[in-house]
Amino acid sequence: MTNASTAIDAAATGPSFVARLLRHQEMALLLCLVLVIAFFSFTAENFFSVRNMTNVLGQASLALTAGIGCAIVFISGEVDISIGSLLATIALPLIIIMNETGSLALGVSGALLFGLIVGCINGYLTAYVGINSLIVTLGMMFVLRGGVYLYTGQRAIPDDAMLDSFILLSDGRLFNVIPYSAVIALILLFAFAYMMRHRPFGRQIYAVGGNQEVARLAGYDVRRVKFICFIISALLATVAGIILAARVGSAQHTAGLNFEFQVVAATVLGGVSLAGGIGSLWGMALGVLILQFLSNGLRGLGLPTEWQLVITGMIIIAAVAFDEAKRRRANGG
Amino acid sequence: MSETTHPSPGRSAGSQFLGSEQLVLALILAALCIAISIAAPQFYSEANIIAILRQCALVLIVASGMTMLIITAEVDLSVGASLAFVGCIGMAALNATHSLALGFLAALAFGGGVGLINGLVATKLKVNSLIGTIGMMMMLQGGVYLFTREAVQNHHHIAAFTDLGAGYVGPIPVPVIFAAVIFAVAYVTLRFTTLGRYIYAVGANEKAVRLSGMRSDRLKLFAFVVTGLCVGVAGMILASLMNAGQPTAGRGFELTVIAAVILGGTSLFGGRGSIVGTLLGVLLLKVIDNGIIILGWNQDLQMVVPGVVIIVASYLDIMRNRANAS
Repeated sequence: MTNASTAIDAAATGPSFVARLLRHQEMALLLCLVLVIAFFSFTAENFFSVRNMTNVLGQASLALTAGIGCAIVFISGEVDISIGSLLATIALPLIIIMNETGSLALGVSGALLFGLIVGCINGYLTAYVGINSLIVTLGMMFVLRGGVYLYTGQRAIPDDAMLDSFILLSDGRLFNVIPYSAVIALILLFAFAYMMRHRPFGRQIYAVGGNQEVARLAGYDVRRVKFICFIISALLATVAGIILAARVGSAQHTAGLNFEFQVVAATVLGGVSLAGGIGSLWGMALGVLILQFLSNGLRGLGLPTEWQLVITGMIIIAAVAFDEAKRRRANGG
Repeated sequence: MSETTHPSPGRSAGSQFLGSEQLVLALILAALCIAISIAAPQFYSEANIIAILRQCALVLIVASGMTMLIITAEVDLSVGASLAFVGCIGMAALNATHSLALGFLAALAFGGGVGLINGLVATKLKVNSLIGTIGMMMMLQGGVYLFTREAVQNHHHIAAFTDLGAGYVGPIPVPVIFAAVIFAVAYVTLRFTTLGRYIYAVGANEKAVRLSGMRSDRLKLFAFVVTGLCVGVAGMILASLMNAGQPTAGRGFELTVIAAVILGGTSLFGGRGSIVGTLLGVLLLKVIDNGIIILGWNQDLQMVVPGVVIIVASYLDIMRNRANAS
């Protein structure tokens, strides 16, 4: 936790230990998460059970996995909103190859290769050609979604291979407790969080997002860093897409609609700045979990999904507004 | 790149109107029209041209407001969800009051209100408008289903309401007239008024505008409300076209609008852009849509082709800028 907001916090001497602790972005989020869980544990039936908790973790694994990529691209100072469409697109090579060959490894390789190509295109157009990443990935979003509609004729392609290993990805649980999808997401989260904090490349990403000119003068290859960030984002969205395809057991043309908005919202809620250079993957993960537990708890209370949307929307605005107010106060303006 | 906003006096009227940035777009559009009409001569029939203009109208109405908003360096992603909600509210108000004026007022009040809230969240709470309006989008998508589970049907049968979407003045459809008027107002405002100059200024350098004594927040708030009001008008026209307030309408509409504005050369970083470019962007997207239908191609291409066009147009723009610079 050595991000920029923490540095600001450290400069101001707080009145008490607790207050100082709360100034940490991640601590405030953790407190939020605990409050959300506590609230629904008392109000919603069957909320506070191992089964439900691990279910939520499994549901969160999609946004968690893709969120890592989203946060890394944000920290590098760019955006990637093509991930929702990519989620639907990579299910095509995955399912088709598996149906043809009966091999999960080949299917996953095909999907990852497709994701890699999309990431390279996004990264090349943004970093090397210099087109605004919002435009590039908006265009990519249209192309991919339209491509899926074209190819499938707006019908789902079922998984005929029914491989055990693939089904395990949706139903299987480690030690019969934690869903494998959540295990994958958590491993990726730990690995990338380690990279962002303790590897030179992670620092380069923060440097590039924080101040591109300074990063360039410090000898970093700004273009290469951004290029790789887009590849990471696309590959992680691919992994999320594989998990989703396993869960629904088919390639759905509508899969991942609005997914990019959910992920962006959770990432920003987690304190990752759109301006680049600020935030952490832990914050993003807490943002995803808060939203996921919230929607699960609201469902537990018997509220219709529409209310969940309304409340989630309000909370996102409130959280970002609160964070902004805190930051301005910390900056003395 | 400020030539677009402040044309030098030496240029011809044509290039002043278009600006060098829109030239690429105009050429693409012309080439496309020629190509489609060679492949399918019925493209240039009067009926088809009017059909294209009619399809452009809804997008252009909202895109006019959105252009102003993006020039101030803000964005509104809630317009699609708001469009659906406005249609339901307008239709419900018409059913209740049997007055077109009151129905229209309700739609404008709702659309403008949403814009006002978006603007207050962005300017007072300092929430990045990309996020703030995603939040608003979620609230409206949920809210419209809480308001009505199914489409609000037309129980009032006011003839003037049907004319909003389907009527003609001479050969020109009514929605096209609405779009033309709103476009003209936006054009004059951005081009010839002090307010327009300040809208560019606040997007280019907000701090400088604030330090020179202008209230930058109010300018942004103004742009948000104008966008919301445009959604109000478009929502009523859409409700009239569908003869119902559909809670599911407007999915993806925000992306079409923003794509048209960006295609027109308006920078997402603010301070740069033109409403004429937006007009060309809307025309280009809709001519592509129309061409795909006329040529009998798979309609799912209507998503793929605009995506490619957005990227290619941005690419050409960057290449042209580099060529100019060297």
